[in-house]
Amino acid sequence: MPPLARTFVKASFIYLIAAFLLGALIMLDRWLDLGRWFRTVYLSQLHLLLVGWITQLALGVAYWMFPRFLKEQGPRPRGSNRLTWAVILSLNAGVLLRFFCEPFYLMGPQAWLAALLALSGVLQAAAMLGFGWLMWGRIRAMEP
Amino acid sequence: MPKTTRLYVKMSIVYLCLGAVIGALLLINRWTPLGPAVAALKGSHVALLVVGWLTQLIFGVAWWLFPALKIRLHPAGLHPHRRGQTQRGSETLFWFTFACLNAGVVLHAVLSPLRVVFQTGPLEVLADLLLVAAAITFVGNGMWVRVRELGKAGQRADADVNPRSAAERGAAWEER
Repeated sequence: MPPLARTFVKASFIYLIAAFLLGALIMLDRWLDLGRWFRTVYLSQLHLLLVGWITQLALGVAYWMFPRFLKEQGPRPRGSNRLTWAVILSLNAGVLLRFFCEPFYLMGPQAWLAALLALSGVLQAAAMLGFGWLMWGRIRAMEP
Repeated sequence: MPKTTRLYVKMSIVYLCLGAVIGALLLINRWTPLGPAVAALKGSHVALLVVGWLTQLIFGVAWWLFPALKIRLHPAGLHPHRRGQTQRGSETLFWFTFACLNAGVVLHAVLSPLRVVFQTGPLEVLADLLLVAAAITFVGNGMWVRVRELGKAGQRADADVNPRSAAERGAAWEER
């Protein structure tokens, strides 16, 4: 597995553990009433699971397993490393930004928190568009 | 990667990009209101990402990579028939699954924001039925029996589809 794919997959594992831990804490809160904060993280937890874990794992495995570019198409068999790093950083910055801002926004909406949330959405959308750009040419028959 | 899988994966990436852009619009809308129509896109966002992206990607990749159907041996008993795509199941039925899945997703994505304005109930039921048809035809089209242990016959079938293993191909490419 190439290093960049490993980064995708390891990051997704971290989100998996974090989201399940958070899920356990949310359940514990229903029983022990730990704090108001836990009632605001439901959406963030769902987002961690769907984007941070499942989507990021799918992106990483696709990056690893999909047919590679032919030698004549470029020097890098999996496409630009810079673009891949940009996708990883943008996606994870977006996921984390949303995770840390959304609970505070839900507890007390403020313009600067809303702006950060909007930025998190733009970062994630940019990551997905970048991934589409990176992978499109690799969706091809194995033997040309 | 077979043609069927290529179309599934390309469509899934299109839905991923669309879903993410709608997600960004939903978050921007919290900061700077873009209009009441944007908030109504939440259902489309979920349908595009959960069904259009994740489910469709899984369908396409499973069709490509799951163990092939058990092979029918050549009458001479020496060489297996090369059956190509049919070793995965019925291609026609897999295209039908594709049509149902995508029609269901698009209907959901379009109807969900219109729910507040129009009575979309019957069409939304139709969209759900299309998704049910997609799920049943996907599982029934050989996928159920392709979830199996790779015995000797399975290995021969795989060798028939991919004469060289992925590891060998990878090593050859790295060497180049």
